Amino acid sequence: MKLAVVVQRYGPAVRGGTEGQARYVAEHLAQHADVEVLTTCAASASTWANEFSAGSETLNGVQVRRFRVSAPASASTRARHADRVFTQTHSIADELQWLEACAPLSSSLLRHLRKNASAYDFCLFYGYRSAITYYGSYAVASKAILIPRVESDPSIGTRIFADMFGNVRSILFDSPEERSLVQTVCAGRSMSNAVIGAGVDVPQSPQPGRFRQKRNIRGPFAIYIGPMDGESGTDLVRLFARYAKEASSGLSLVLVGEGSGSVGAVANHPRIKRAGVLDDTDKFDAIAAAEAVIVPSRFQSFSRTALESWALGKPVLANGESKALTGQCVRSNGGLCYRNADEFVGMLQALEQNRWLNAALGRNGRQFVRDHYDWKVVGSKYHDMLMKLQNDRSKDAGASMPGWFARRRRDVSPSTETTRSVA
Amino acid sequence: MADFNVRADSVNVEQIMEQIRARIREKRGVDYTEAEIQQLATGRLEKFIDPHNVRSDLLQEFHRVRAASDAPDPSEEVIDESVLFETHRPWLRSLRKVLRPILKLFLNTKALAALSLRAKAEVSRRSRDQLTFELLHNLVVEMTRLGVEVKNLSMRVESLQGRLEFNERRARALESVVVYKPSEAETTDSVSRAPMRDARPVAEFRPRADVQTGAGQTEASGGGAPVPGGSEGPGQRSRRRRRRRGRRGGGMQGPGGGMPGGMPMTGSSPAPAAPADEATTVAPEPEQPAHEASAPESNGGGSDTDLDPQ
Repeated sequence: MKLAVVVQRYGPAVRGGTEGQARYVAEHLAQHADVEVLTTCAASASTWANEFSAGSETLNGVQVRRFRVSAPASASTRARHADRVFTQTHSIADELQWLEACAPLSSSLLRHLRKNASAYDFCLFYGYRSAITYYGSYAVASKAILIPRVESDPSIGTRIFADMFGNVRSILFDSPEERSLVQTVCAGRSMSNAVIGAGVDVPQSPQPGRFRQKRNIRGPFAIYIGPMDGESGTDLVRLFARYAKEASSGLSLVLVGEGSGSVGAVANHPRIKRAGVLDDTDKFDAIAAAEAVIVPSRFQSFSRTALESWALGKPVLANGESKALTGQCVRSNGGLCYRNADEFVGMLQALEQNRWLNAALGRNGRQFVRDHYDWKVVGSKYHDMLMKLQNDRSKDAGASMPGWFARRRRDVSPSTETTRSVA
Repeated sequence: MADFNVRADSVNVEQIMEQIRARIREKRGVDYTEAEIQQLATGRLEKFIDPHNVRSDLLQEFHRVRAASDAPDPSEEVIDESVLFETHRPWLRSLRKVLRPILKLFLNTKALAALSLRAKAEVSRRSRDQLTFELLHNLVVEMTRLGVEVKNLSMRVESLQGRLEFNERRARALESVVVYKPSEAETTDSVSRAPMRDARPVAEFRPRADVQTGAGQTEASGGGAPVPGGSEGPGQRSRRRRRRRGRRGGGMQGPGGGMPGGMPMTGSSPAPAAPADEATTVAPEPEQPAHEASAPESNGGGSDTDLDPQ
């Protein structure tokens, strides 16, 4: 069986949950099938510069084929398109313009897909908010398997994604909450799907002392791994400042990740330390050294950071506004969720002061990862799904993209309204 | 959440989170989210806007203002319609001036000018109303927030009061444990006289400095020489015991000195405070060492089982 893994960015140095998941699955599937990764030359999701050279290479036993990506739109253009799509009645063409402005297109990659579609049995598209995924899934609709990693942000209410979800051969979800959200968006459309997720590879014996020594960090701390420019990072710093005010001698906060915008401006707190971007070894050392891992994202459907912390036996403190994260914490019994500042303080204090609770949650999380996200489990789910799809030829041809006039008809309601109605 | 504790073999995250949330609610009082505060504020504002629910004359005032703004402006009579023909271009102004009589044949320019002025006034009024509305809204939000805060603070005051009362009770209980170290001779004497009742070791009881000095001073002022340690006579001890009992009985009856929160007195009920002249006629009790006498008192007056922290 020959599989194509299509993802916007790929490589060991590339950060991002979707990209990490694609790499994990590609590397593991490569042991059982002929896997080729189709990706762009970009490494950063903010600049989209062609940092890697185009062409083929082999990374960790996986064949990787890179294509050049077009120049990204300016921030003002992105904002203009986003405003039109989210707040005004618009057309499908407006949504496509917004999508291409958010995540640039690689025409050469799409050409390759169309030309060599017959060479692949299935194409696994990672990440739904990508122009490559959208056009690629239409190019090889009968072979397209989408791993959307849907977030409950306003973009999920756009028409193009609802059409895309209904058009692909199958969808593999990371969590039941994600599936429920997509099913609500695609109300009335039948779609083959399964909840599979993806595991994590963590070292057997991380060295917490090494991280503390390297970064000169003493005392207990909680850790946040993720972008610092976004809303999540800023919110977390604000919440932690409140916690530090109430608990004068509690945990510190270590921020790991790139970005120096809004968080940089407010993170001059004596108990907030910035560790910058870490490689995988340092990251796992840092998680092992932490008392708890904080996942403050409101929209996330599946947190690989949470999985990594559970795999290392550490509890998670997640944002309770994310239904998917709350579901994960409850199912695993491995983390607590907060819904406001008071709860953040209360939960963090509970994790800090009750070592038994901390250890019990970590143990539960580790067991949850072993039971559901070990490659043996995930791999067998992938195998079953692919075999089932190969034997089932009922949906060979997908629908075509909307025509010229259909794309330009201004009858799509604002995405924010749609999201609000399905939330 | 310092007192949050889990010791079960298996944890239930939902249960733990609910416990923490309950504790937060307990600590903070009513746990309103920002959205709930907004909802509360909206509710009040709706009540304010709805004329059926308004209980003050503020609505009438608003109606009066509206009526005043709706009424035709008296200055309308003196409106100058020339504003309709104003322009910054001189050639156009002169042309309009020439053509004005012809235009006036077709239009009521005075009415048009009045409408124009009223439209301007309406725009300004609407903007003012909008500002007023926003101001009111913000005030109501702040009031709601303050109301919640006041409620929380009152709950905290109640909590602090409870703690204070507890501390007072504890202090009183400790004070009631009047201890006294007898001399060796007296100990042997008391042991020989009441061997069955003195079950507790002597080493458990230690004299309290303040009680000793207080008693000594009282005795000294009464004419007797200050007697150290256990060399005081049986009459003095019984007098002191009566004084203590009387003080305790009086304290419990008084409004400020009673056991707070209606704490029941366990053990033997205390004797009512005897008048001073009656005290002299009280039949002498069988003589006991001080620690023997104090032991039941300490149990009855302020036993540890009564000291419920909250």
